[in-house]
Amino acid sequence: MTTITDVGAPGPAPTPIPAEPPGDHRGSWIPTWGMVSTRCMELRRRRGLMIALIAVNIGIPVVFLGVRLISHAVAPKSYGPAGGYSIFTTLVAGFMYVFGFVVAAVVGCTAGSVDLSEGMFRHLVITGRSRLALYFARIPAGLAIVIAMVAVGYTIVCAVCVFAAPTQLNYDGVNVPVGLSQPAFDSWAAAHADEVICNFNFHGGPGLNQPPPNVTCPGQQVGPAPGKSTVPGAESPAQIRAFAVTVANQDYADYHSQFLVPSSTLMVDVGLWIALEATIGFMVGLGLSSLMGQRTVAVILLIVLELILTPIFSRHIILHLLNVQRGIVGVAMAHIEPGGLPTPFGGGGGGGGGGDPLIPESTLASSLVIVGWIVFWTALGAWRMRTRDA
Amino acid sequence: MATATSTDSAPGLGAESEWAVETHGLTKRFDNNVAVNDVELLVPRGCAFGYLGPNGAGKTTLIRVLLGLTHADAGTMFLLGHAVPRHRDVALARVGAIVDEPRFHGHLTGRQNLQILAAAREPAAKGRIGPALERVGILHRADDKVSKYSMGMRQRLGVAACLLGDPQLLILDEPMNGLDPAGMLDMRDMILSLVAEGRTVVLSSHLLDEVERTCDAVAIVDRGKVIRQGPISQLLAGSSFEVQVECSDPDRAGGLLLPTPFGAHVQAGPDGLAISLPEGTDRDAIAEINRLLVEGGISVFRLQHVQASLESWFLEVTKRLGEAE
Repeated sequence: MTTITDVGAPGPAPTPIPAEPPGDHRGSWIPTWGMVSTRCMELRRRRGLMIALIAVNIGIPVVFLGVRLISHAVAPKSYGPAGGYSIFTTLVAGFMYVFGFVVAAVVGCTAGSVDLSEGMFRHLVITGRSRLALYFARIPAGLAIVIAMVAVGYTIVCAVCVFAAPTQLNYDGVNVPVGLSQPAFDSWAAAHADEVICNFNFHGGPGLNQPPPNVTCPGQQVGPAPGKSTVPGAESPAQIRAFAVTVANQDYADYHSQFLVPSSTLMVDVGLWIALEATIGFMVGLGLSSLMGQRTVAVILLIVLELILTPIFSRHIILHLLNVQRGIVGVAMAHIEPGGLPTPFGGGGGGGGGGDPLIPESTLASSLVIVGWIVFWTALGAWRMRTRDA
Repeated sequence: MATATSTDSAPGLGAESEWAVETHGLTKRFDNNVAVNDVELLVPRGCAFGYLGPNGAGKTTLIRVLLGLTHADAGTMFLLGHAVPRHRDVALARVGAIVDEPRFHGHLTGRQNLQILAAAREPAAKGRIGPALERVGILHRADDKVSKYSMGMRQRLGVAACLLGDPQLLILDEPMNGLDPAGMLDMRDMILSLVAEGRTVVLSSHLLDEVERTCDAVAIVDRGKVIRQGPISQLLAGSSFEVQVECSDPDRAGGLLLPTPFGAHVQAGPDGLAISLPEGTDRDAIAEINRLLVEGGISVFRLQHVQASLESWFLEVTKRLGEAE
């Protein structure tokens, strides 16, 4: 077999076309602003994804709070105010945290896989642009969308919880002024002795387990409600007031942790915490889907992680797997939850109380786990992007 | 296993190379299957170059290796004089390519897809989006979603994507796929106009007729190996050809030629003779036929040398290879 290698004289030199673009650093791993903005545009134009994102991050809180606002406006005696501290904490820790992660993960999985599945990856590689730059362009683009959505939803929640908060604190069924110091709380208790004795929790004490006083509580002939305070001995008005002050002293710590509205500090802290959770969801989704080269399975895996595995592993100690449990990012995030919120995935813990406690983990360990997850999945996705056949 | 290497060449020297594409010993394997087998390929600048081969011959794999879409197992390669993959960023800056069927984000318009690709190129690429769309003839549909494009329109969009980088070298893998006859004519004209501007176009195809009409030079690949390459005219010059003879008595003329070396290749028809001459036959054979007929008293009205087409030459070459094995 012969091969003819004389292919003739080369054609004319292409003089009008420059040999290479001046100042074009397309071998650099740093993406250009144009790459980030067009990538952002590509994600924004996915109508289904954006509708789902808006529905979960903004729509559901808006509907929930809207119904409460209308209910309270129509029948204020039957329905409490739409906002307030307790609504804020419940909505944030019970809903926005968990579903913020899931939605961010879906966006991340989309950003990490669609170029490949839709045939654009090949076009992009042929430009000669660094594959790492192509990967890293997706991070600010996706986060700009995810964080913006979370921020809008969270801002609406904060606004309603602050501006539609109750005007008086309802503590154990009694309307109590907010923010009283302990002496002021004692004075208020002395002035409202009957309500305090009938409704506040009384934990007993030395010499305070005598028969109930002649205090008339609603629904009772004489004495306090079952399980409520008991007054020792004979009951002069002064004694009843003193007893009410004693009960108030026992409950002051709990009262002091009750607020009408979330504080500015708490709102900022919680906002950052939710943003971090969404960032983790996006980054893990991006890395995992880049690694797998497809979206659906990656999304399912992350939903299982967030909604099934994390709640189980955060509360039930499995001795041989304790360090594995600590290595789960959701568990680590629960440990750095701002004080004052109920623990995510239901129950108490964190700043709240009750329920099974979280498995033990130091703040440093939690922080390292979070950083580790972000770095690990980003590196894995970037590596696969570099080595994948296009 | 040998590793693909790239000779250390400074990225700025590319414009001085006389070859748009140059490969030496390029090899790519998929397990036990050698898809690209020790390929030595030289594509001169400023021409339309056809890369021909039957289905599964390894045409697309070679293009994917050249463009860095997959790694080579051995050999060296240069695009526009730049060693790849070492300087692939510089080399690909002036390369545009369509590999396989061009696919884009269906939920975006043609223009938006090009914006994404332009953003990955130099800043000036953004300004070429409009002219590129106009040149391929889909400017009027540029703001429609790609999901509504026909296959032919996607091909055109793929070519527009190639033009964003103001390429010196275009590598088009089966660019005629999905095009109607008018679209094929447009594509052919566009390729020729690109070549006229001094660009190099490498055309991978199995549509031999289109390649013959479009390209100046070709390489034939079979089972991963380049078996012939060169200018089409030069390749065909050495191939078999036919001599058509219009004469006074075709039957007697056939009888006259029968005892000669040409006898085995003569076919008599109502208007004359058709004599197929094998590869390597000298042109003097035509004069010899004429002499034999005239000396035999046959009046010769016309002697026509008919060169084999690229298609028949390709089939002849690949068939012979198959028989040899």
